[in-house]
Amino acid sequence: MIVELLPLAEAAGQSAGGVTQILNEFGIDGPILLAQAINFSIVVFVLWRFAFKPVAATLQQRQKQIETGLKDAADIKAKLAATHQETLQILQKAHAEAAQVVDNARRAAKEFSEREQKAATDRANEIIVKAQQAIELERKKMMQETRGEIARLVVATTQKVLAKELSDFERSRFNEAAAKELTNV
Amino acid sequence: MSAATKQAQTLARHLFNLSLAEGTVSAERVQGVLAYVEKTAPANAVLVLKAYHRLVAIELARRVALVEHAGSVEASVLKSIAAAMTQHYGRTITAASKANPGLIAGLRVRVGDDVYEASIAGRLQALANAS
Repeated sequence: MIVELLPLAEAAGQSAGGVTQILNEFGIDGPILLAQAINFSIVVFVLWRFAFKPVAATLQQRQKQIETGLKDAADIKAKLAATHQETLQILQKAHAEAAQVVDNARRAAKEFSEREQKAATDRANEIIVKAQQAIELERKKMMQETRGEIARLVVATTQKVLAKELSDFERSRFNEAAAKELTNV
Repeated sequence: MSAATKQAQTLARHLFNLSLAEGTVSAERVQGVLAYVEKTAPANAVLVLKAYHRLVAIELARRVALVEHAGSVEASVLKSIAAAMTQHYGRTITAASKANPGLIAGLRVRVGDDVYEASIAGRLQALANAS
């Protein structure tokens, strides 16, 4: 700031001696001011060379790291989004497959149920047919036994009646007829 | 069948053939056969005589028509039956009668193993078996 004011002061001194007077009143010595300026420049150079520059490099490195981190974060975010999308697709696919499995299971269960129902119906019909056949056989057997029993009773009764009622004459007539029958063998 | 039984049956058949005269059992020849057996006493004589007796009985039965009857049967009926059976079998068959009231009425004739039925009992039995 002071260095920047010097030309202005000199310009002012040239135009008027008031400037020198002002400098003297403020205690400003030219060579000292120059030395101080040189010292200041050296300090500035040293600070710039050994402090500001490493700090700037560090800042730049940090900036790069931050940018890299941001970029990585963006990449990660993109990958995360892609992964999320992929996960959604996998979930949708799994959902569809699960629905397909459930559908297949329902269809298989329905077919199994229908098959079992048909088998049960067939078995029931078969049992009914066998039962009807058994009943019919039993009925025929009973009818045959009844018929045989009745015939035996009729024959026994007839034998008793004929044995009592036939006269000797009738027996002789029957014997003659039987003899004729036997002689024709 | 043991060898002794077989040998006895063979001897009995030979003796039976010796008992036939003109295809029929002759009483005289049977007497001769029995005298021979008594005299020679062959091995297993009892078995021989049993087999011989069975053969003679079968032959006699083949030549006799046993007429079972319920009620009276005239001699002419027996003769006609004997004649019919003789003609049927081609050998001389005599008739013998036997009363059997179980027949109710009618006749049953046995010639050997053959049976001819013409009786009320037989017809009723056939009716019962058919139903």
